[in-house]
Amino acid sequence: MSEAEAASRLSTFGYNELPTAKFSGLKILVRQFKNPLFFILLAAAIVSGFFEIRQSIVIIIIILLSVILGFFNEYKAEKIIDDLRQSVSLKAVVSRDGKTNEIDSRQLVPGDLVSVYVGDIVPADIRILECKDLEVNEGTLTGESFPVEKNYDAISLQHPIPQDLTNCLFMGTVVMHGSGRGIVVLTGRQTEFGSVSHSLVRSRPETEFQRGVRKYGNMLITLTLVLVVAIFVLNALIGRPIIDSLLFSLAVAVGLVPELMPAIVTISLSHAAREMAKKKVIVKRQVSIEDFGNMDVLCTDKTGTLTSGRIALKSYLPFGEDRQLLEYSLLCNAAVVGDKITGNPMDSAIWEYAVENGLQHTIDNYTSIDEVPFDYQRRMMSKVVQKDGRITLITKGAPESVIPKCDYVSASGTNGTSNEGEPIDHFRKVLEKDLAENSRAGYRTLAVAYHPVIETKQRYSVEDEKSLTLLGFLVFTDPPKADARLALDRLKILGVDVKILTGDNELVAAKICEDLSIEMRKILRGSDLTEMSSQELREAAEEATIFARITPEQKLDIIKALKADKHVVGFMGDGVNDAPALFEADVGISVDSATDVSKDAADIVLLDKDLVVLANGIEEGRKIFGNTTKYILMGTSSNFGNMFSAAGASLFLPFLPMLPMQILFMNLFYDVANMTLPTDTVDMEVTELPRRWDIDFVRNFTLFFGPFSSLYDFLTYGIMLFIFQASPALFQSGWFVESFWTEVLVIFVIRTRRIPFVTSRPGKWLTILTLACVAIGTIIPFTRLGAFLGFTALPINYWILLVLMVATYLLLVDAGKVFFYRVCKF
Amino acid sequence: MHYSSLLTWWMISISWCALFLIAVSTYLYLKTREPSGSSGILGKAKDFIFVWILACLLILYILTINNSSAIIFIAGNVIVEIVLVVYTMRNRGKKT
Repeated sequence: MSEAEAASRLSTFGYNELPTAKFSGLKILVRQFKNPLFFILLAAAIVSGFFEIRQSIVIIIIILLSVILGFFNEYKAEKIIDDLRQSVSLKAVVSRDGKTNEIDSRQLVPGDLVSVYVGDIVPADIRILECKDLEVNEGTLTGESFPVEKNYDAISLQHPIPQDLTNCLFMGTVVMHGSGRGIVVLTGRQTEFGSVSHSLVRSRPETEFQRGVRKYGNMLITLTLVLVVAIFVLNALIGRPIIDSLLFSLAVAVGLVPELMPAIVTISLSHAAREMAKKKVIVKRQVSIEDFGNMDVLCTDKTGTLTSGRIALKSYLPFGEDRQLLEYSLLCNAAVVGDKITGNPMDSAIWEYAVENGLQHTIDNYTSIDEVPFDYQRRMMSKVVQKDGRITLITKGAPESVIPKCDYVSASGTNGTSNEGEPIDHFRKVLEKDLAENSRAGYRTLAVAYHPVIETKQRYSVEDEKSLTLLGFLVFTDPPKADARLALDRLKILGVDVKILTGDNELVAAKICEDLSIEMRKILRGSDLTEMSSQELREAAEEATIFARITPEQKLDIIKALKADKHVVGFMGDGVNDAPALFEADVGISVDSATDVSKDAADIVLLDKDLVVLANGIEEGRKIFGNTTKYILMGTSSNFGNMFSAAGASLFLPFLPMLPMQILFMNLFYDVANMTLPTDTVDMEVTELPRRWDIDFVRNFTLFFGPFSSLYDFLTYGIMLFIFQASPALFQSGWFVESFWTEVLVIFVIRTRRIPFVTSRPGKWLTILTLACVAIGTIIPFTRLGAFLGFTALPINYWILLVLMVATYLLLVDAGKVFFYRVCKF
Repeated sequence: MHYSSLLTWWMISISWCALFLIAVSTYLYLKTREPSGSSGILGKAKDFIFVWILACLLILYILTINNSSAIIFIAGNVIVEIVLVVYTMRNRGKKT
């Protein structure tokens, strides 16, 4: 093809790139406003503008600050991922105008003639025209760990799946052996790779955390509306001016809204994201951190996550001398051994085993004479070697090819230099049984045999591969990762149930479970799932540990079924076939070495393939969830209590219990005291088990703890009215200080289920800021600012009563906490 | 300034608040899936110690304000605080 034709086709077919989500600062900014609380706060800011424009400006500044904070944190995290993605640009060797050049694979068009070599990532879907010993790892597309052989023969199939198309190469797969040349047939989103990733360009499903925030926002709106309408109507009915009634009811509404919640959540999340980045965990979507902590089911792909994704020599089964078997395997070997070991993965695995065990020098005394190369018809290779004047032909290959060439089985005590041993016919059944068992367990097996050469020749050929003596078998596997067991143990302790979703067969998956001591409750195959109703699938998903031979669509169905069963579901995978599941899960976890499309679909990317960081991340997520919950529980209950008593007092007092601007000032000042909550320490029991948003719990907490605050507000009213015979200004000052003290100091009681300060110490900054706020709140009535806000100095006797009253209040809340957690589980 | 006409209103308000709290506590206790297993009137009464404390507090506060007595208030608060500490220590150890 000419360059001109290629340019023309490029304009017709477009760039050869996948429909991955583009990095966009604007999108990240817009995302910050998609929050129901944002709208409540905006309304609160507008409403407060009626009373005091300065308060309105302060609220708007706080909203903007939280938006900016969230934007920059998410922008930074997504930029890291985008830079990572940009750094992986694919190249393709293409022939145009009779010249062969390396070009950016985005420029490829259908009709281009492309060459691929060992180690290349296939840049498009290609029909092979010529190839030599071509093997491709299609794991990213099909989940299969072992390389598949490719050829250029025509195939006649009606509805072929990618695994059937042995004469095609697919975009994103990796060339493991040999080379090939072919014509590009599909590019970009038209490719198999693209069709999987195409499903990702849709809106993300709502996470458990987002659902919780939405429900919380709805509860707040309902509560606010009911109170505002009730206060307004009742005040109007008892004859208060309509405007005063409206302004007071709106002030109570503002008082009910925890306006700093988005800022507290964002600060918590970005704090966690920074901590996790130090541990090489990149959080792409901050909102997923809390779900990460609350996750109670982790679905994981097997290949590359639980296993190393690399083939290793598991064991060797010699019939004669075991050392001889390994020596001959090293001699009859096509791996390229240099600084690194490359080439055929099974031959490489033999070398890696030898190097690890210091056996690589056992073949130093051999001299290579000749080689009969591997080919796919024979499925074996032979090497002729010489040592101490003796020449031996060694053959290694698929057992079904090698065994028919053998007459003997090596016996123990033989040295592998002559045809010694038992006739193979005596062993056929045993050999077949061993091979079948290995095959069923998902192992790959190679047979090694030898023949002493009597006749010295210039060239040896396939004709010499006869009357062999079978020396033994080499068994290969994709082994579990070294740290997988440790990580899974920690996940178990953290209450996370692990399920394996794999395209491999059930025996392979079961073996991995056995190796990693994962409890196997039930194994289901993809074919079992196709017949199930959605209800049956939910039950099966709950029960089973292993889902084998499943398609990407079935992975998606399992995750949906688990989510429907009220689980917070995490999915960990790194292949293209994992991308839809990564997208659907509450928390999608991928690794840096994963395909671009799966990294793009993930919420969290591990820069190191270290599974232990998963458990660390979960603990971090739980801390954040714990601190956010503290803020919500304290804010909602104390705000509710104070506003409830303000509303009640407005009905019988001849004046307003607190002026609107005093309510707003107290509310903002209270929120400032809470700013350091994200840095607070979290009790161990909070991170022990997964928790989730429970709106019923929040409601019960509010209904239970809110009235404590109201009770002491009413007591303060009584003290001010009937002991101090207070003027409106003195009454408002007394209630402001009491309300502020109780509202702020109760943080220390509610933040833990333990004994405050004795068995659970609050964070340093929380303690300092809270006590500083209490001190400032105490002196405000004596200052010019206090006078400006309508406060007046309080008598000394009041302070004595206040200290006693607040002490009783805090002890009562602590006792209430013991009662509450006994009857309300969370 | 004299607010004696508001005393009845005030007592209704604080009583309503305390009774609401007692009602919520009772509702939560009855709703719990894992009752303490206490049986008999004495057992149930023990489970409700927290509610009795609330009721006592309400009486104390109404008495204090009705008599405008700081002494009753101080003495009553100190006693209640001791009771609360004992209740919390005993129950936290066993139940939480």
